[in-house]
Amino acid sequence: MIWLKSIFSRIIFLHVIAVLITAIFMPLVLYWFVRSAANDLHDQAMREQADLVAHHLVLGADGGWTLDLPPPLQALYSQAYGRYAYAVIDDGGRVLFSSLKDQSPLFARDPRSPDHAFLTTRSGDAAMSGVSLEKEISGRRVWVQVGEDFAHRDVIIDDVVAEFFKRVGWITLPILLFLLGADIVIFRRALRPLLSASEMAKQINPKRTDVRLSAESIPKEILPLVQAVNQALDRLEAGFRVQREFTADAAHELRTPLTILRSRIDTLVDRKISKALHQDIEGMARIVSQLLDIAELETLSIDPQEKADLRAICAEVAEFAAPLALAQGKDIALSGSEASVWVHGSAEMLSRAIRNLVENAINHSPPGTTVEIVVEDAGIVTGSFAQPLATRISSAAGTIRTLLIVFNPPRFRPRLGRPICGPG
Amino acid sequence: MRLLVVEDNEELARLLIQGLAAEGHEADHLTTAAEARSALTTTRYAALVLDLGLPDGDGLSILREIRQRKDPIPVLVLTARGGLHDRVTGLRSGADDYLVKPFALEELVARLEALLRRPGQLLGRSLQVANLALDTESRQAFIDDKPHVLSARETAVLELLMRRKDRVVSKKHVEDQIFGMSGEVASNAVEVYVHRLRKQLSERGAKVQIHTIRGVGYLIAEEKAG
Repeated sequence: MIWLKSIFSRIIFLHVIAVLITAIFMPLVLYWFVRSAANDLHDQAMREQADLVAHHLVLGADGGWTLDLPPPLQALYSQAYGRYAYAVIDDGGRVLFSSLKDQSPLFARDPRSPDHAFLTTRSGDAAMSGVSLEKEISGRRVWVQVGEDFAHRDVIIDDVVAEFFKRVGWITLPILLFLLGADIVIFRRALRPLLSASEMAKQINPKRTDVRLSAESIPKEILPLVQAVNQALDRLEAGFRVQREFTADAAHELRTPLTILRSRIDTLVDRKISKALHQDIEGMARIVSQLLDIAELETLSIDPQEKADLRAICAEVAEFAAPLALAQGKDIALSGSEASVWVHGSAEMLSRAIRNLVENAINHSPPGTTVEIVVEDAGIVTGSFAQPLATRISSAAGTIRTLLIVFNPPRFRPRLGRPICGPG
Repeated sequence: MRLLVVEDNEELARLLIQGLAAEGHEADHLTTAAEARSALTTTRYAALVLDLGLPDGDGLSILREIRQRKDPIPVLVLTARGGLHDRVTGLRSGADDYLVKPFALEELVARLEALLRRPGQLLGRSLQVANLALDTESRQAFIDDKPHVLSARETAVLELLMRRKDRVVSKKHVEDQIFGMSGEVASNAVEVYVHRLRKQLSERGAKVQIHTIRGVGYLIAEEKAG
């Protein structure tokens, strides 16, 4: 059953098989029960009638038998009605009384059972079914036979049995199909907590280790599995946290000594050495910041609905970077849209990305250059100095699509030339 | 008026105090949150340089206490944690500025001076950039100690720029501050005033430069030699 991947499809598949088997066998079993019940009722009725006939059977003092049936019984066994018949047979097989016209026994082959026997016989169109009951009256044994003609128009019990499949048996199939439908709904409801737990499990990734499977409404058979998964996630999260904290703590611990080193370098008299050391410190500080950024990014979760004003971010970056540009004999400018340009994304992360690009542009362009940031209405930021420096931030689909960074051209040719790609 | 540096690293604190002294700012140094609390309630400092990671507590709690008792002392927070959340928390707790380690000493001094140049602060009355000075109370500008007459709006623009020396003042901020609610402002009004200022300062020998950061705003700085 490997091809049935889900629990739900397996349950439904097995359930359909069970319904089909039940749909075949249930009418047969019901038919057997109905027929058996009809036979029992008929036999019981015949025995009671035989008892009634025997009750009116009297052995005279002269050894002769008399049978004086009351008028209702006479009518019941009359030839005119033709539905019921009786016969009384003595020990020697001689017919004492018979309601039949020819005074014959009902059942020619009477086993003369000491108790009673159920017998059937056919005679012409008649299908006689009845009982032969042994009775002892005044010390003499007789057998009272009573039968009913199943072919008679008033007998419907055999018709009920015969018509069972056509009139009653078919109902089992729609009932079972309805039951199958109801079961599908029930299974779905019963499995819903599992489905929602599966949906939650899909959200778990290295950035979302805080997600836990809800144990609420989970069936008790599945609960141990859910709890075990949650415990495993706890351990996993702890592992990730230790790793992140180590990176973040290491970076933090490095920042204070770097500040001390930087401040010491500031006090050096030899400006040439001081400048070279400053560059080294800048490199180290950048690595430390990147380590912290990585630690932070691992936990970063951007809300898809989060929006940021690209124009405001670029203005802030330009403000921030202007002193750096001027100190290096360069200029910075912001152009393009005058109004807010809203895009989907994290303002902080966009700001870091754009600031990184702009700082690179300033640091790697020759003196006298104007680093220009152009914010377009479509949510595209284009920067230029020597050659196009571009970041593309799409607002159309509401997410950052590509981050193309072009900087550090081999030669300075303002706004012209072949773009070169590199890390930001 | 003195500055207070609260930093648990003795070596860093010594270097910071040396650097501040070299720029003409005397500072006291404390290493714990408890000492800082005590000193801030008994002594009035011009500004506070506060490290967030102190051995006996979080620097942010000191910051909140200061602001709860309505103490307007400018606070520059130093921290090794520069994440967005840390910065937002620091600024919401009442920090005036935020400097992430490792920083250049001159940046610390520049930011502190910018805080001190705010109205009502230590350097807020007399602003100085190179040989250009501005008395913010008499509204008088001086170049090489000689008084020069500027219009009221030119003086106001100059004050805004000088209070944020070496940092960008956005054009929008200038418009809001100078023209305020005084009705419709011509789109080039700020440019006109800056152009006039630039021309007058240049003609009168001020060794300052007003840079236009196109699309953003303006920045005043000392004129570079050569």
